Amino acid sequence: MSHTLHRQGTADNLSGDYVLLAMSAKGVNAVNSSYALKDFFSIINKHDWANMGEVKVGGAYIASFQDIVGGVRDTSVAHAVFRDKDEFARVIAQVKKADLGLSVTISGLLGNLNETLEANGIKPHTVEVSLGIKGKTERLPHGDLLQITTMCGHGMVSQALVRKTLVDIKRGRVSLEKAANLLATPCACGIFNPRRAQLILEELMDTWCTDEP
Amino acid sequence: MRINPGKCIGCGQCRVFCTMGCIAFVRKEKGGQVQCRVDEDECVDCEVCLRAKACPTDALEQPPAVWPRSVRGTFSNPLVTHKETKVPGRGTEEIKTNDVTNRYKHGYVGISAELGRPVLGARLRDAERVFMALAPLAVEFEKQNPLTSLLADPATGKLKEDVLDEKVLSCIVETVAPIERAAEILDALDKVAGEIESVFSVDIISRVADDLSVPALEMLKRGKRPYAPNGKINIGLGRLFIKGAGC
Repeated sequence: MSHTLHRQGTADNLSGDYVLLAMSAKGVNAVNSSYALKDFFSIINKHDWANMGEVKVGGAYIASFQDIVGGVRDTSVAHAVFRDKDEFARVIAQVKKADLGLSVTISGLLGNLNETLEANGIKPHTVEVSLGIKGKTERLPHGDLLQITTMCGHGMVSQALVRKTLVDIKRGRVSLEKAANLLATPCACGIFNPRRAQLILEELMDTWCTDEP
Repeated sequence: MRINPGKCIGCGQCRVFCTMGCIAFVRKEKGGQVQCRVDEDECVDCEVCLRAKACPTDALEQPPAVWPRSVRGTFSNPLVTHKETKVPGRGTEEIKTNDVTNRYKHGYVGISAELGRPVLGARLRDAERVFMALAPLAVEFEKQNPLTSLLADPATGKLKEDVLDEKVLSCIVETVAPIERAAEILDALDKVAGEIESVFSVDIISRVADDLSVPALEMLKRGKRPYAPNGKINIGLGRLFIKGAGC
């Protein structure tokens, strides 16, 4: 389950994309872990998050914070996304200080993640990296679209929805911010980063036509 | 997923949410009412269109799926929890709880190939091709992974015959092996990539050594195998006893 891996993008726009998730291990320490998971969400909500969520309830662009926390169970995976490295570092510091005992995994540019951990005196435990896409890659849509769709690792954000938002923005039917927020709604885990999507959409406004493959 | 023709008004609001792009406009005769129809063979039952609440007439309907169609929803809809793993989604907890499970030990790597990701989806026949490419290497397929449970013969990598034509949004062939075996596993994945109809995304997992080096990344650099600059790190905060759990 590598849903926060394989996010595509440029070094520039990936530097505004930090995912954090917390969970207990089934059959090991899951019993009654929901209290700690709720504490984790409380820490997240004190910071400038870009998204958060729990898959059974949904992300923050379709569910309220109260609904997300209310839906937490022992088996939940708590997700949050940040756009700013310094804010992300402050969250990591708070999560470490809370000493919840939950397993915490972070995603982003490895160099930035390691800097954050070092600043907080945390030694990384296990690392996972993407080796790219194999097979009939010629069937894939344009890489610009993949930068947005791959922010939902479960593949819930369709390329057609991205294409529609691009057309709607160009025709003045919707603002960049609202379009980016709409793209976040199918991502049930709340790991889609609409603020990063907004930056990508803004960039594409100058270069994207409607007839790209 | 199906669209009830008695309710559909052909507005097409559902189409853009379809992850597989398999909702089309149709009409029975020239000049007749335009409606939307799902190509059910291409549909993976992810239910994104349904959850989007885009249909103004509630024409979208998810019929109860029986075996083998039922595997589509369990692999494609992250809201469905697998009976085998008790985890929603397609895979396992992998590195996310490795600090308490020690699933990936020092000296070992996890290597996964996620069929259908990104965007395209995949028939399980493609997953079988990857399994069959790796099985001769005697790698260990992750037993907790729901796709592994569909193997008819782990020794050959053959899947159950009746699921081969089923299409899913994605599914993961997940292995664990000594790091010395990593290069031949990656070579086998490179080779089978030319034989599949869709795509797969590859990842590698490694424990961090005491000196903070990452053996898998060192191995990749030595082999001149490129990897993405972004990745995932389990930061080692997990403990056997969780705060407030009272145990």
